[in-house]
Amino acid sequence: MNENSTIRLESLKKTYKLGAVDVPALREISFEVFKGEFVSIMGPSGCGKSTLMNMIGCLDKPSSGKIILDKIDTENLNDNELAIVRNRKIGFVFQMFNLLPRLTALENIELPMIYAGKNKIDREKASSQILEAVNLKDRATHYPREMSGGQMQRVAIARALINHPALLLADEPTGNLDSKSSVEILKILQNLNNNGMTIILVTHEPDIASYTKRKIILKDGNLVEDQTLEQVKIQ
Amino acid sequence: MKIIENVIMALKALGSNKVRTFLTMLGVIIGVFAVIVLVSMGEGAKAYIHASISSFGEGTNYLEVRAWQEGEGPFGTLSMLDSKLTYKDAIAIKEKSKYLKYIDPRIIRKGEVGYGRITHKIPFVFGVSPDYVYVFTHAVKDGRFFSEADIAEQKKVMVLGPTVAQKLFGGLSPVGERIKLKGYFFTVIGVFTKKGTMVGFDYDDIVAIPITAAEELYNTDSVIEMGMSAIKEDDIEKLKAEVENILLIRHGKKDFRVDTQEESLDLLNGILGILTGVVGGIAAISLLVGSIGIMNIMLVSVTERTREIGIRKAIGAKRNDIFTQFVVEATVISFIGGTIGIVLGIIASLTIMYFLNLPLTVSVWSVFLACTVSVIIGIFSGVYPAIRAGNLNPVEALRYE
Ligand SMILES: Nc1ncnc2c1ncn2[C@@H]1O[C@H](COP(=O)(O)OP(=O)(O)O)[C@@H](O)[C@H]1O
Ligand SMILES: [Mg+2]
Repeated sequence: MNENSTIRLESLKKTYKLGAVDVPALREISFEVFKGEFVSIMGPSGCGKSTLMNMIGCLDKPSSGKIILDKIDTENLNDNELAIVRNRKIGFVFQMFNLLPRLTALENIELPMIYAGKNKIDREKASSQILEAVNLKDRATHYPREMSGGQMQRVAIARALINHPALLLADEPTGNLDSKSSVEILKILQNLNNNGMTIILVTHEPDIASYTKRKIILKDGNLVEDQTLEQVKIQ
Repeated sequence: MKIIENVIMALKALGSNKVRTFLTMLGVIIGVFAVIVLVSMGEGAKAYIHASISSFGEGTNYLEVRAWQEGEGPFGTLSMLDSKLTYKDAIAIKEKSKYLKYIDPRIIRKGEVGYGRITHKIPFVFGVSPDYVYVFTHAVKDGRFFSEADIAEQKKVMVLGPTVAQKLFGGLSPVGERIKLKGYFFTVIGVFTKKGTMVGFDYDDIVAIPITAAEELYNTDSVIEMGMSAIKEDDIEKLKAEVENILLIRHGKKDFRVDTQEESLDLLNGILGILTGVVGGIAAISLLVGSIGIMNIMLVSVTERTREIGIRKAIGAKRNDIFTQFVVEATVISFIGGTIGIVLGIIASLTIMYFLNLPLTVSVWSVFLACTVSVIIGIFSGVYPAIRAGNLNPVEALRYE
């Protein structure tokens, strides 16, 4: 196996059961993402993008197939071990921000460190550092309701990064943002990637995908295209 | 994750909905409050009765015979109203017993005495014999107590408690004066020394008349109780057996009971204990209701915070972290509620006792119990909602609107 493999999917399938009906969300997906890549996953609504992200992020288990995350085969991990993987290996950024409304920006950012068992001093140091990195130092004690969408998403990115994950997953992170904030967020992601962070970004807008280096296109739960940016340019 | 973090988190969550938190606590506050107040009152009354009884110094050389019937309950039935004990029993015991020193049969009634135009209600009219002063250690300071001759002649003579003397005669000596009781005139021959209060009754607010006069006055030959002492204190158990024997032969059945001082206290404790238990039990039910309230609110809270739980799980919270979070929240609610209940309960107990003139005691065990119970309640009523929270599937929880 390649030393630099961050995530490797082998014949991944996911079928939801709605009563007696089987809804196939992912049919048979295989691909690999290496350290330092910036990948976008595209496709129309309902094609299985979020389902795929949830599998990669260990929020849900596939119906069959393998997920190897940072050299860990996640198939046989129990609930607790999966929680640890989510906590240490994955940073998740959602379309709806998903900040806890009763916690300040700083407290939201510290939360993954609390679950990692880090002490208060370490937490404060790390969270104020990272808040500076996403340019939100003056919002440290603000609650989510006091922030704009772009600010909330930056807090969410800071929270995703606080435990130095191997992989950053962003599921339509600009879906609820105006174009100015969207560009801001994409620049931050690009910047992170330039500094070595591996990122998978879900979007259905080609404009946004153009910020990434590799494009994977899904359709009805199948992978229909996988191209690097160079290949796209040649075409 | 450390427990301190959990407590801080719980306080934050509870603080964000103060009204609901307070209403949830209210059940526990009222429950704990009720347990402490009611049990403390019971214990206080018990302590008071004990203190009064031992301060009367009947001591260990003392037996009491009461009318009693075998029956339901741990203590049978104390049947004072249709007592089969008589003054003749007392005389028989006195004649036959080897161990008896004094015997004090008592006919006890309420009454109203009159002197001139002044009348005065008294809680106790004692129809007693000369041994009364020895058994009850009640001395006469002014004049004399009645003699065997007064008894034999059914003399209408009376000894007054100092409160009665004060009420009817002010500072003047009542000896030789004639006092009206139930239509008869009694000649005052003495005044008791001060005795004080016992079990809430003023024992100086009494009058004593010869037991034979009382029999005539109240048209009865049954005595409510008899106090006794032995010649030698060590023989008290022998005296008890002897008295039981004599009475059993005379009555043909055991329609009485003979108790040492200790047994009398046990009897009293038993009755008071049942009372305290019943009242405390009712209060405990309100504590239970409080705990159901907590469980209910915690279940609502888990549903309301499904999304929060999803987010926490997505960023690495384990099942156990979520479980602990909700249990700690429930425990913190009931702990704070319990603490408020304890403080209010103690204040209320002391206030009530102050106004009832009971000794200021707070039942330590009830505080301890209420404290433990309220925390246990929190834990238990938090467990079920917390299990539900911990088991939520993160993807499902994140999709929850
Ligand atoms: N929890 C679920 N239960 C049942 N069906 C689901 C569930 N989640 C997603 N689906 C279905 O799976 C398909 C893929 O959904 P999703 O991954 O959310 O698509 P996308 O994110 O690309 O819009 C859709 O048809 C959706 O209705
Ligand atoms: Mg989606």
